[in-house]
Amino acid sequence: MVETEPPGFGSTQDRPPGATSDEGAAQMLQLTDIRRDYRIGPVTTEILRGVDLAVGAGDLMSIMGPSGSGKTTLMNIIGLLDRPTSGRYVLDGRDVSKLADDDLAMLRNAHIGFVFQSFQLLPRLTAVENVSLPLVYRGTNRAEMRRRALAALERVGMGERTGHRPDQLSGGQKQRVAIARALVGEPAVVLADEPTGALDGATAREVMALLASLNAEHKVTILIITHDPGVARQCARQVRIHEGTLVERTAGAPGASGAAAARHPASGTEETEEDPGASSAPPAIDPNPAREPTSRRDDTGEILNPAAPT
Amino acid sequence: MTPGPRAMSRAFTILAANTREAADSLRRARLRTVLGLVGIMIGISSVITMVSLGEIVKAQARKEFEALGTDILVVRKSFEVSSPEQRAAVVEREDAVALAPEVASIAEAAPRISGHGAFRHAGREVGHGAIQGVTESFVSVNRLSVRTGRFISDLDINRTWCVVGADIAAAMREAGTDQPVGTLIEAEEQLLTVVGVLEPHQESYALPVQVEANNAVFVPITTAARIVNNPEIDVIVARSRAGVHHETVAADVRAFFQARAPHLPLDVVTAKELIARMESQMRLLTLLLAAVGSIALIVGGIGIMNIMLVSVAERRREIAIRRALGARQRDIRSQFLIESVILTMTGGVLGVLLGLVATWTVCRFTQWEFLISGLSVASGLGTATAVGLFFGFQPAHQASRLDPIVGLQGE
Ligand SMILES: Nc1ncnc2c1ncn2[C@@H]1O[C@H](COP(=O)(O)OP(=O)(O)O)[C@@H](O)[C@H]1O
Ligand SMILES: [Mg+2]
Repeated sequence: MVETEPPGFGSTQDRPPGATSDEGAAQMLQLTDIRRDYRIGPVTTEILRGVDLAVGAGDLMSIMGPSGSGKTTLMNIIGLLDRPTSGRYVLDGRDVSKLADDDLAMLRNAHIGFVFQSFQLLPRLTAVENVSLPLVYRGTNRAEMRRRALAALERVGMGERTGHRPDQLSGGQKQRVAIARALVGEPAVVLADEPTGALDGATAREVMALLASLNAEHKVTILIITHDPGVARQCARQVRIHEGTLVERTAGAPGASGAAAARHPASGTEETEEDPGASSAPPAIDPNPAREPTSRRDDTGEILNPAAPT
Repeated sequence: MTPGPRAMSRAFTILAANTREAADSLRRARLRTVLGLVGIMIGISSVITMVSLGEIVKAQARKEFEALGTDILVVRKSFEVSSPEQRAAVVEREDAVALAPEVASIAEAAPRISGHGAFRHAGREVGHGAIQGVTESFVSVNRLSVRTGRFISDLDINRTWCVVGADIAAAMREAGTDQPVGTLIEAEEQLLTVVGVLEPHQESYALPVQVEANNAVFVPITTAARIVNNPEIDVIVARSRAGVHHETVAADVRAFFQARAPHLPLDVVTAKELIARMESQMRLLTLLLAAVGSIALIVGGIGIMNIMLVSVAERRREIAIRRALGARQRDIRSQFLIESVILTMTGGVLGVLLGLVATWTVCRFTQWEFLISGLSVASGLGTATAVGLFFGFQPAHQASRLDPIVGLQGE
């Protein structure tokens, strides 16, 4: 999908800053004032308290935050596995906030690719069968399904192990298969929840490099949820969850953009030209700077980094 | 989401994948699968046996009465008597003879007087059987046929003439008489002149009266009244007119005898009634099998449901993954429904085989003609599918309602 839509990408690039309110027109996905409460008995806990987020085609974005801050909750909402308590979510130009369960399943199938921390491969299926699964629910015929699954495995460097079952693969290989599965349907966005959380350092770097190269070479839109600042740094756009809202990270990594800086130039950023998609992405986020001084945002991230992956 | 070739192909791909998945997962849970299968197998084999035997008996009855004719009826004094008058009452010969001419719904009637004895010819015994006093109509009513000579005629009043059955004729031939017609035979110390020989006759056991024609010597009813010990009419075999309802015929016959012999307790049995009786006996067996079958199916079905519930519980993660990748609730539901139907269908096929073996065994003992009825196979497999869908629904529904978020969490 990403490869076939350079025009969409281009148009995002050319948009002037401040066009965010023109919601969804060129954004892959746009969340506006998303809230999510959990009600347990009489107690209501607000996990997400008004998340605003816009992701353009071809973005590589990281979402950081301490354990329990609601990263997975947010990913489940973006991934259409969960519905927000309130708020508006436009995916690929379509308001998906109030769709029925079946429609959400079809949209997940067509627009979302998931990569999970614990791989979530079906143990009884071979790599190529696992990768084919999204196409099964799309009704692709068997030959085409196999052809595309093999191509996806090739793309993640797993062309040699297509007949292996998950228990015959290493952690890094499993995650590559999972990434192939996320890519095979050419989704609008790949959502990766702690994709390197279960991997050792070297493997984690390899997997991250793979994701980054998929983004750079094939313009796959990727959202990575991570604890690891090292991972986050490789993303052109970085946001963190703080007290139920998203805050655009404004300093540190090269390629950190964009959005917050554009809207609040005063907060100061190293604007970078390295990633045009990210740097030109319109400011989708309302960081509420009055409440969140820049410096504190960075602190939170560093302090909570060592926390165990969720 | 719009129906069309694409939706069709999607449905087909999912179905094909689900079927492969289901078969695969059942292979893995072998012991549980076998246990569930046994119940279904017993249940389905009962269904098969039940339906097959029903069909076989129906075919058997049809065959019997094809030879006999469904217009046949048997009239005789009932064995159930409750008063001395009833005990004393008999079927009078005049009444029996008048039955056909006077009752419009009766086409032909053949009354019979019978005794038992040994038959001697040319100085040796040539048989032991019934001496039957009959009228001319007896041969056609009972569908006998004459090989040589002629049958008893209504003009043979009091004549000491007789017609012999095929076995007796054969015995006479052994005694040196190649052509029995014209020779003498002794029965009940009465010499009779043979005027005819019958063809061998296939006895039907469907009727409550046996003709035993092959072993019998037939004489005019008037002659028999003189020579046998008990000269009462023991039975009237009759034929009703075409197109008359069997209950009408029975009522007419009763009315006729009610007018002439008010104390005579009467049994009137029509072929249709006999068929109905045969079927009701069958129904008893059917009921028994139905009871055994339903219990087995319920037990088996509950077994299947358990297998499926365990399978769903064990595969929560798989379900969640599939849902995340775009499976709709109905896709998950159909995956598990297919699995339970495959399970019950396997039990069903085995049950069909077992049921056919059971039916074949019953047929060997009852000497019924074994046949494989398409209806029984269809109803066995149909029941298996229905049981799979019914008992598989709850687990499948449960699977489809699992929250993918929860399923993806637990390690
Ligand atoms: N189904 C639920 N019911 C109640 N609370 C939940 C539920 N799911 C998540 N939470 C709570 O929401 C918070 C955020 O969880 P999560 O999104 O998993 O955080 P993260 O992924 O950032 O570690 C946690 O405090 C968690 O306990
Ligand atoms: Mg999490």
